[in-house]
Amino acid sequence: MGHVLRPLTPPPRYERGTSPYEWGGTGAPMKFGLFYEISVPRPWTPEKERTVYVNCLEQVKLADELGFEHVWAVEHHFLEEYSHCSAPELFLTACAMVTKTIQVGHGIVVCVPEFNHPIKIAEKTATLDILSGGRLHVGTGRSATWTELGGFRANPDITKKSWDEFVRCLPKMWMQETFAYQGEFWSMPERTILPKPYQKPHPPMWVAVTSPGTEIDAADRGLGSLGLSFAGFEEQEKKIKEYRRRIRSCEPVGAFVNEQVATTNFLFCHEDNDKGVEMGKRLGNTFNYLATQLISTREVYSSPSYQSLGLLPALRRAATGPEANEQQTEGMAYGDPARIIKAIKRWESLGVDCINFILNANEVVPQDQVMASLRLFAKEVMPHFAKKPANAAAAE
Amino acid sequence: MPLYGTLDITRDSKHLPTLANLDTEAWTLPKAETMQLLVEVPRSSTDGLLPKAMHPALPSYVILAVTRYPESPVGPFNLAQLRLGSRAGAHPRGFLLGAVASTDAAAMELRARWGLPVEQGEVKFLRRHDRVMGTVKKDGKTILDCALINPQPVAGTDVQYINWVTAANAPLDDTMQPMLIQVDPKYTFYKAERGTPQVSAFDGKAWNASAIALADPIVATCCTVDTDLPRIRFVMDPLKPVFQGTRRIRESRADE
Repeated sequence: MGHVLRPLTPPPRYERGTSPYEWGGTGAPMKFGLFYEISVPRPWTPEKERTVYVNCLEQVKLADELGFEHVWAVEHHFLEEYSHCSAPELFLTACAMVTKTIQVGHGIVVCVPEFNHPIKIAEKTATLDILSGGRLHVGTGRSATWTELGGFRANPDITKKSWDEFVRCLPKMWMQETFAYQGEFWSMPERTILPKPYQKPHPPMWVAVTSPGTEIDAADRGLGSLGLSFAGFEEQEKKIKEYRRRIRSCEPVGAFVNEQVATTNFLFCHEDNDKGVEMGKRLGNTFNYLATQLISTREVYSSPSYQSLGLLPALRRAATGPEANEQQTEGMAYGDPARIIKAIKRWESLGVDCINFILNANEVVPQDQVMASLRLFAKEVMPHFAKKPANAAAAE
Repeated sequence: MPLYGTLDITRDSKHLPTLANLDTEAWTLPKAETMQLLVEVPRSSTDGLLPKAMHPALPSYVILAVTRYPESPVGPFNLAQLRLGSRAGAHPRGFLLGAVASTDAAAMELRARWGLPVEQGEVKFLRRHDRVMGTVKKDGKTILDCALINPQPVAGTDVQYINWVTAANAPLDDTMQPMLIQVDPKYTFYKAERGTPQVSAFDGKAWNASAIALADPIVATCCTVDTDLPRIRFVMDPLKPVFQGTRRIRESRADE
C-alpha cells in the first residue's frame, strides 16, 4: 500500500493521579471502537484471506477518519472460520500505519507461556507502541477454548495463575531499566528489555471479561474491563457496579489505574430500520453460530479453572433459543440511527465507557454496506455522544 | 459456515436399532459410576462417521465411556460406549458410534427403547486406589482396555457431560423412518475424580469406527452420579441441518 511512517505526535505522559484513564470517572463522552475477530468463510483461498484482511484495514482507515477511538484485534489460534487473527500485532501494526489517531488494542494477548513468552510480549507491544506513536492499549487474557489450549499443549488448570504473573511483570518490564524475575511459570536473569514503550509510564492495560467474576479480577488489579460477551443490560449493570466498587480499593499492577468499562456489540446502521435490523440479526446470528462451534475448555477438560462456559451459553441461546429474537435485539446496535442511539444511551446509563463493534462475520455483510454503515453511524449517531453524559457531568 | 458430517444414515438403515415407538418410559439409574475418557483423533479418521445433519467438533475427539449401573429396571448392568464429539446446531453432542452392554436384557432394552447401537458383551468396571479400569470383550476378544490413572478429587461442578445423539429407525407420522434421536441424561453428582486417560487396547472396527485412530489424550473423569435415561424429547431429520430438521416429541422432562 506504500505507506510511510508519519512523524510521531508526542504521546500522553501521565503521572499517577493525572491520567485520563485513572479512576475512570472523568465524565468523558462515550467512546466507540471496532473489534476484529477476522472471520474468514470457507473455502480459504489465498485471495479470500487477503480480501478479508484488506477489507478490515479499509474499515479501520475509514473509522479513523470518522472519529472512532479504538481498533481492537483478538489473538486466536486454530478457530476455523470464526477467527483467523493469530498474529494481531501484525494486523494492528498495519492499522497503525494507515491511520492517524485511532488507538490500537490487543484484545487480547494470551498470557499463557505456551502461547507467548512474556519477554516477547513486552518487546512486541513496546515496538507497536513506538510505531503507532503511543496509541497502544494492551488487553490481556488466558484463552477459553480447548481448541487453542490443547493446540499449544497448555495446562488449563493454571492459566489464571500464569495470567496473574504476566500482568504483574509486564509493567515492570516496560518501565524498569533492567528486569530479572523468578516466578512459578517463568523466569529470567537480569537483562534490559528493549525497546521501552513510547507512552509513559506505559500503555493502558485491560483484561478480557467473559467468565463471571473476571470483572473482579480486573478491578482488583486496576485493569480496564474489556467485555467480550453480549450480556443483557441487567447482567452488565451488576458487573459494572461491582467493578466500580472494587476498583476503588485496588492494588494496581501497573503505574496507574485504568478504570474503564468496554463492551462489545454488533453494528449495522441503515436509514431503513427494518433493513438495518435484518442485516444486523444476520450478522449476529452468523457470529453466534460460529462461536458455538468452538470447543470450550469446560466441554472437554474438567477443571476448576474453567467452571464457566463463558459467553457460549448466551450465544447458544441467542443462536437457537426460542427467545433468540428478543435477546438479539436488546441493546444491539443495529437498525436505523434512532434505534441505535436509544440502545447506546441505555448502555451509557449503565456506566459503559466504550463500545467496540463487530462489523462482520464470515463476510455476510458486503464491504460496501459495512462502509456505508460506518459513515451513517458517524454522521447520525456519534454526535449524540460527543458530550459528557448528564449523570457524569453532575457527578463532577 | 461450519463443516457438516457426510454420513447418510438413510442409505443403509436396516442395521440401525429399531424402536416400536418414541414413547418409552424413563429409567431411573441411581448411584451409577461412570468413567469417561476423552481423546483427540485425527479429523480424517472420522470421515463418514457423522450424519449430514451434524457438525464435527474441531478438533475431532471421541468419548470412551464405561459405566456401572448397580440398579435399573433390568437389573444391574455395565455399559461401554464410544461417542464422537460433535455439534447438533449450536449444541455440543456425542454421536453414538457403538456400545456394549454386559447383559442381554440391557442390550435389548437400550436398543429398543432409545435406539442405542448396543450389542451384548463382557464389560468390566474396576476401581483401585491408583486407577479406575474399564475392559470390554466381544466374542472373546478385547475391544477396549482403558483406565483413568491417578484419580484426584474434583468438584462435580467441574465436570460437564454432554448429551448423546443416536441413529435409529422409529415411527414418525405413521411411517417407520431413520432418524437421529437425542438422549439427554441428567446427573446428580456425589463424587467426581479426574485423572490421566490411558488406553491399552482399542479395536475401532468393533465399535463401528474402523478408521478411528486414538491420538492425543485430553482428560479422564470418573463420577458417582444419580442419572437416568429420560423419555425421548427431540428427534432430528438425519439429512437436514438440525436447526431446520429438529422436531420436539414432548415438551419437557416434567412429564416423566
